[in-house]
Amino acid sequence: MTKLTDPIRAGAWALAAGLLVAAAGPAMAQTAEPIKIGAVLCLTGPGAGLGQAERNGIQLAEEAINDAGGVGGRPIKVLIEDDGSKPDIAKQKAEGLIFNDKVVAVIGGSLTASTGAIAALTNAEEMAEVALTGLGPAVELTYKSLYHVLPPQSLNAKAMLEYTKANKLKKIGVLHDSGYGQLVFSNLKTMAASYGVEFVAVEKFEVGASDVSTQAAKVRAAEPEAVYVIATSPVPFRSARQVKITQPIISAIGSSAYDYVRGMGEFGDDIVFPEFLVGEDPEPQQKAFVELYKKTYGALPKNYEAAGWDAVNIVAQAIAKAGPNADRQAIAQAMRQPFKGVLANYDFSAADLTGIDLSSYVFSKLVKGQFTRLPFKVGS
Amino acid sequence: MTTTLFIQSLLAGLTNGFVYGLIGLGISVIFRGTRVVNAMQGDFALVAGIAACLALDWLGLPIAVGFLGGIIAGALVGWAVELLLIRPTQARGGSEDSLLLVTLGGAFAVSAAALLYFGRDSRSMPGFGGNRSLDVFDAAIRVHAVWLIAIAIVVVVALRLFYQRTPLGQSILAASIDPEGAATIGINVPRMRTLTFMLGGAVGGVAGVLVSPLITIHYEMGLLLTLKGFTAAIVGGLGNPFGAIMGGLLLGLVEAMAIVFVSSGYKDVIAMSLLILIMIAMPNGLLGRRGRVGG
Amino acid sequence: MSVEPIRAPAAALLTHRHLRRLVGATLALAGIAIWAALPQVLSRGTVDLLVFTALYAIAGLGVAFLLGQCGIVSLAQSVFYGIGAYATAYCCTTWGWPWYAALVIGMVISGATALVIGWPVLRLSGYFLALATLALATIGHVLFLEWDWLTGGTLGVGGIPQISLFGLVLNTPQKFYYFIWPLAALIYWLLYNLLHSRSGYAMRAMRDAPAAALVLGIDVHKLKVRIFVLSALLGSLAGSLFANYVSFVSVDSFGVDRAVSFLLLAVVGGAQSVIGPLFGAAFVTLVPNLLSRVGDVHPLLFAGVLVVAVIFLPQGMGGLVTTLWRRLWPPAPPAPGSGT
Repeated sequence: MTKLTDPIRAGAWALAAGLLVAAAGPAMAQTAEPIKIGAVLCLTGPGAGLGQAERNGIQLAEEAINDAGGVGGRPIKVLIEDDGSKPDIAKQKAEGLIFNDKVVAVIGGSLTASTGAIAALTNAEEMAEVALTGLGPAVELTYKSLYHVLPPQSLNAKAMLEYTKANKLKKIGVLHDSGYGQLVFSNLKTMAASYGVEFVAVEKFEVGASDVSTQAAKVRAAEPEAVYVIATSPVPFRSARQVKITQPIISAIGSSAYDYVRGMGEFGDDIVFPEFLVGEDPEPQQKAFVELYKKTYGALPKNYEAAGWDAVNIVAQAIAKAGPNADRQAIAQAMRQPFKGVLANYDFSAADLTGIDLSSYVFSKLVKGQFTRLPFKVGS
Repeated sequence: MTTTLFIQSLLAGLTNGFVYGLIGLGISVIFRGTRVVNAMQGDFALVAGIAACLALDWLGLPIAVGFLGGIIAGALVGWAVELLLIRPTQARGGSEDSLLLVTLGGAFAVSAAALLYFGRDSRSMPGFGGNRSLDVFDAAIRVHAVWLIAIAIVVVVALRLFYQRTPLGQSILAASIDPEGAATIGINVPRMRTLTFMLGGAVGGVAGVLVSPLITIHYEMGLLLTLKGFTAAIVGGLGNPFGAIMGGLLLGLVEAMAIVFVSSGYKDVIAMSLLILIMIAMPNGLLGRRGRVGG
Repeated sequence: MSVEPIRAPAAALLTHRHLRRLVGATLALAGIAIWAALPQVLSRGTVDLLVFTALYAIAGLGVAFLLGQCGIVSLAQSVFYGIGAYATAYCCTTWGWPWYAALVIGMVISGATALVIGWPVLRLSGYFLALATLALATIGHVLFLEWDWLTGGTLGVGGIPQISLFGLVLNTPQKFYYFIWPLAALIYWLLYNLLHSRSGYAMRAMRDAPAAALVLGIDVHKLKVRIFVLSALLGSLAGSLFANYVSFVSVDSFGVDRAVSFLLLAVVGGAQSVIGPLFGAAFVTLVPNLLSRVGDVHPLLFAGVLVVAVIFLPQGMGGLVTTLWRRLWPPAPPAPGSGT
């Protein structure tokens, strides 16, 4: 079966590679066998907003690295697979990439569940998995070859609380969804007291809810000084403003995407995001990436595009360090070092498998649908 | 609990109830005319929402015209579904489950196509009265939501009159209740079924253009709306247009009250458990036996 | 396939029956040979898909049995699949139980849940019942999310140990394949026998002529509850094995979409034939995987293939196979005195 379809796949990749060559021009005149890297992303299904953004960053990085001569004289090739936002399919795709295509490392998944399903495989093979998510279940801490390019939710929670404390806000209402929002909130809950923050109302809603105005009204009735809205959807932001929550909204990185901002419409106002990349006003080390991205795609990148870009570069750097013909285990171990990325400064030898600290965060404010970077930095 | 909160939750329950009811209405229209449970009713709404959004964004048409375009798009999709999915399935002797499944396949297709061609963004769309809200004891309801409720009521009443008073409506019912008998008295049964789907598509279109300004357009919204609408239609009684609205209101209000008085995390558990209890306690639907069996 | 005309009718019957059995046995042997050879020939990724096919075939068989034998549309299978998976995840990681103990616990909980819920709910019928099972799936999904002390919520549970059989750890798709497929075959054989037993005839009477079934003294409600429990047990079994196999579970695997895919599997495969869900499981596992090579358009293509399959195979793929088989080798009337 696989043998039968291999020509199809080869053809598709040849086509993709051909397009890339055409785009890259004569710079990609390498003849060496490419180094294969796998990526399992959510390109369709509910997580498509993450996966498609990540794919843009990944393909951009692939092209840039090959334009610059590849890694150790060999070009790289990222084989991207879609898991349809389902962990079972993520596992199936990872099997194919690891054992059929013999990739040297896996990038992904886009969702915590996909990451976990893939990690069971990469851990057994002791090969690198560069996850585009935050830290998953505690068992991941025992894994020796799993790395995360996004911070654990405890750090996201800390960033929110730091901003809250700096602005002397104490009584907070919370509106969060049962997926991503629940993860961040459970961390907020354990740390709130140490920041002098009290949650006066906490309301939850299901992922994909089409209206949360009752929950928002309950939050409003508790008269908070500010409201945390944490969700992967524009709906709660709309509902909050519609039921006349006029207080400042503080959100989390997962809600910071143009996809959602477009859905917020005119309700996307006075919302603060602790995040990493504000394309409208990037930090110095981010400028080159933002320019390149803008030139290629005609749009501004956000966090997940940068995460995809960083993931490829992390793998490429590890291959360069271990040698272009190194085996998977060697590449995975070569990754255990600090890495200065576009999204953040990582240290993959850290216990939390990412090494991001609060200094990498930037804070942006959405005013009438436009992101502006705030001068605030943690510790400043 | 403050009065504002109570009123706000009532308003939210009411609005959501009519949203669910409108989707359920389309399901019940199609069931009434063809005995098919249509799993892509929410996707009719999605298509209509996208069509209206494009008409407003690209062509810069006035809101009412854009909405009309959306409704027409819904009717056209209904027509296409009957022609391409329902008719061939029935011609080959497909069972009820097969019919449910082809429409489910259609729903997958619409959602996938929306992601592919319309994009992964959520899109906000202007509604009647812009973003203005009315104040009711310090609680707020969007002007557009009031329009939604009013139009929903008009649509239900119009449907009722259509089935009771017009020859076409009577023919549609006759074709559904007794296809062979209807054919012998000269009713074109296949055409009635096509018309039913177009009508259902148009009702889905009405729902789509009215709902989109409230909840934003998103490629995943179709099936979620269908699930709520299905619940509304079944609880209220599949055969009665009023039933779907009643069922929708019940569901919307129960959800809102569950959030206010119990816990937002368990909202769906409460609403769904109550639903099962209602079905067991009232095996004939909210509107009684005639209501459920319909026609 | 020219069978020489034989004069004596009894001899003809005998020959026909024997020939039919012979061909059946040959096909079965060839099938087993091919089955045993597949993991040696196919790549690991493809064998992995075949393992998932078997898992879904077991869970889907429960749904198909309800649909085909009782006419019940169940959208609640994701709940039992989830209960099995979480029982295994929790018992194996928190308490370090062996896999089979966790599997049994999962099945006990699933069976009990199905009994308690099924008793009142199965009094409903038609669309009410379909909606009630949908409501159960929703409730199950919410509870899986809310009880995160047990299920890990969105994070999930990782590090679930793999199945160890007499010291052999089933840690590759190939090894698991040789474990899961005989198990699936055993279950299919058991259900096939059940269908051709007294209870099987009672079920068919209930489905095709409920009034007559009542007259015959068949307790329809009790029978329905029994089948519902059986269906739940199959779902739970598949869920437990899924957890052991993937060694990671998360709430994303037990949503309403999973329940829909089990139902889809049953209908596409053909709920009336026992073998049908097997084809259905292969369909929902292999087809999306093949299509996904085309690019982002693949979910649209899958929807198209699904619709075409449902339209052109109203009896499902199992129905097609049964029809073909019957056409090639029509069953002879039972020999006089054979007393089946």
